[in-house]
Amino acid sequence: MNDAMPDSTLSEVDNLLERSILDVGIPPCPLILDRFITEARRDEPDFSRLASIIGSDVGLSAGLIKTANSPFFGMRQRVRSVNEALAILGLKTASRAVAGLILRKAFPNVPNLERFWDASARIAHLSGWLAQHFDIRGLRAEDTYTFGLFRDCGIPVLLGRFPQYEKVLAEANNDAVRSFIAVEEAALPTNHAMVGCILAQSWWLPEEICLAIRNHHDLVALESLGSSLPMQSRRLIATAQLAEHIVQRESGLSLTQEWTKLGSACLKILELDEAQLEALYIEAAAIAAAVE
Amino acid sequence: MNSIDPLTGLLDRFGCLQTADRFTAASTHQPFAAIWVDLDRFKRINESFGHPGGDEVIKDLALRFRNRISGRAEIARMGGDEFVFLVPRCDRSAAEQLARELASTVGELIHIGNLTLCPTASIGIAIHDMEENSLALLERADRAMYAAKDKGGDGIVCSGDEPIPGRLGITLAREEISIESTLHAALETGGLCLHYQPIILANGEIEAVEALMRCQVDGENLSPGKFIPVAEKTGLIVRLGEWSLLQGAMQARLLQDAGYHTKVAINVSRAQLVSPKFTQALHAALICSNVKPELVELELTESLFMDISDTVQANLKNALSAGVSLSIDDFGTGYSCLANLKDIPAKKLKLDRAFVTVLPEDRRALAVVRAMTQLGHELGMTVVAEGCERQEEIDALLDAGVDAIQGFFYARPMPEDKLFQWLQTRNTK
Repeated sequence: MNDAMPDSTLSEVDNLLERSILDVGIPPCPLILDRFITEARRDEPDFSRLASIIGSDVGLSAGLIKTANSPFFGMRQRVRSVNEALAILGLKTASRAVAGLILRKAFPNVPNLERFWDASARIAHLSGWLAQHFDIRGLRAEDTYTFGLFRDCGIPVLLGRFPQYEKVLAEANNDAVRSFIAVEEAALPTNHAMVGCILAQSWWLPEEICLAIRNHHDLVALESLGSSLPMQSRRLIATAQLAEHIVQRESGLSLTQEWTKLGSACLKILELDEAQLEALYIEAAAIAAAVE
Repeated sequence: MNSIDPLTGLLDRFGCLQTADRFTAASTHQPFAAIWVDLDRFKRINESFGHPGGDEVIKDLALRFRNRISGRAEIARMGGDEFVFLVPRCDRSAAEQLARELASTVGELIHIGNLTLCPTASIGIAIHDMEENSLALLERADRAMYAAKDKGGDGIVCSGDEPIPGRLGITLAREEISIESTLHAALETGGLCLHYQPIILANGEIEAVEALMRCQVDGENLSPGKFIPVAEKTGLIVRLGEWSLLQGAMQARLLQDAGYHTKVAINVSRAQLVSPKFTQALHAALICSNVKPELVELELTESLFMDISDTVQANLKNALSAGVSLSIDDFGTGYSCLANLKDIPAKKLKLDRAFVTVLPEDRRALAVVRAMTQLGHELGMTVVAEGCERQEEIDALLDAGVDAIQGFFYARPMPEDKLFQWLQTRNTK
């Protein structure tokens, strides 16, 4: 069973695979998708590299194995690994399905996700710029970019699992007193920061990024002297929070209360005062607007 | 007013002495420790990058120390690359633990320009002996530090141990530091994986598979017997535990998708369960993997039951509400407390391998196994024997009423793909 399949069967396999990947419900790591698309767009893509890229992602891998084991293929023997799944589906088929999903920004199958990834991309981009611009102690631009991108990756997972989460999210965004996490935990058994951290750990992201994801709404961890949160994680959180504030200020969209709650702690971590912030608004506006 | 080092904002030498005096005056009933940390080969940093470069490293390190120690000790810079930590209410073992933390803090990479340094430190510990003044205490810590340096650096020496070279405690501390750094490397390079060992019911059905963590860095395997205790000491076990929660749940999901209704048993450490965040982490793993919760089992180490706090109780209750089941691991040797057993809502009791290896010859062991099995059954639990390698052991265990067997006799722990292969050969759907 491979790419020699007739077109009608192929498209059925495509659909099946897409559905499986979506059904697994773990949004594939956007960085891995980036790597995937870069490789797939080459004139002569390296298929073994594509296979290893797919294989390095929990969500995509699970989706592939699930598909290969579906009754559609009627295989006697169960697929045991991504490589076996790829052997059954054909790498081209798998790649096409993954690429199709990327193009439609279909991860996962929940409403408003496009806006979510857009916002993440803007915040990531501006965070990277801020890290470079201020030469923030020990922060690397690519780390701040990665953190900005993944900071809220728990949100789409929860949107996919809990129908009421959209409402919870709106409430958390509007609550000027309780922490974002407290609002989530009043309605759910977990919160998006914890989900994001667990995912980030499974993607083997560095510890300071995982911890930053876990604590990015935690004012106590951010500002208390006795906090065990590494300084590097605090700087990541502060930079992305500032980036979000600037993006929201410019776009007037997706307004949250986070800057009201965390802003002054973030400025302290970044060693910025109000006057510098005003100057920054002007300079950063152009950068924020440039991300389309 | 304490005297402050202008470069780092830490106490300076004089401030350190003042603070040590204060501690000495107050330490009539509570021992405190002085830990002296000196960077190895710091001169080379100064020579290569000039003093401004060296100052940057010192400032960076001071900040890291402050973050890592977070109020547990007073920190002073004694000049150059030397730091002293004055730790209130601290005995030798706590001081050694803290020294290991300091060593790992020093060992984090430092970036200067395009170069990355991986510094190490020599560390000396002295515990205040109630009689001596603060100067004498600091001198002992300093001497212990030099003893560590004499051994080639990158090590910890406790005052009083200096004249005896190669003592086990010292070697161990060094080995532990190296294991800790290997674990960090594993976490950043994907060097961890889970292997799975089946648990077989008397009728041959597969009751569950236990997920066992494996660590490999640069092609070398680190044995779990070595890295798990270090992970527990350093607190890394929480991150490892959370990682295996998701991986284990994901594996259960893959098995579920492949049509196997086999539970995956995931080990949960005491450090995870005493954290109020455990429930959120468990739910996060269940949500991300989208597995049926009844296919996930949490294996709790028996030592947990020495002291079941309200947080632990709440976490266990929440785990049950989430739909996962609980089992008690290594039962019968360590801290077995029968009084606590009745309060733990576990469905499975795993007898420690120590009872198995002496069967069937040891009749007394057999009697204990039979009694524990009966106890487990009375409490509505499935009883599993671990570490079974021989047919005679299994016969004796089944005869004693044990419900299920785990051990090399049936299968060794195996990686995911081998597990699927193994399941297929048994045609166990």
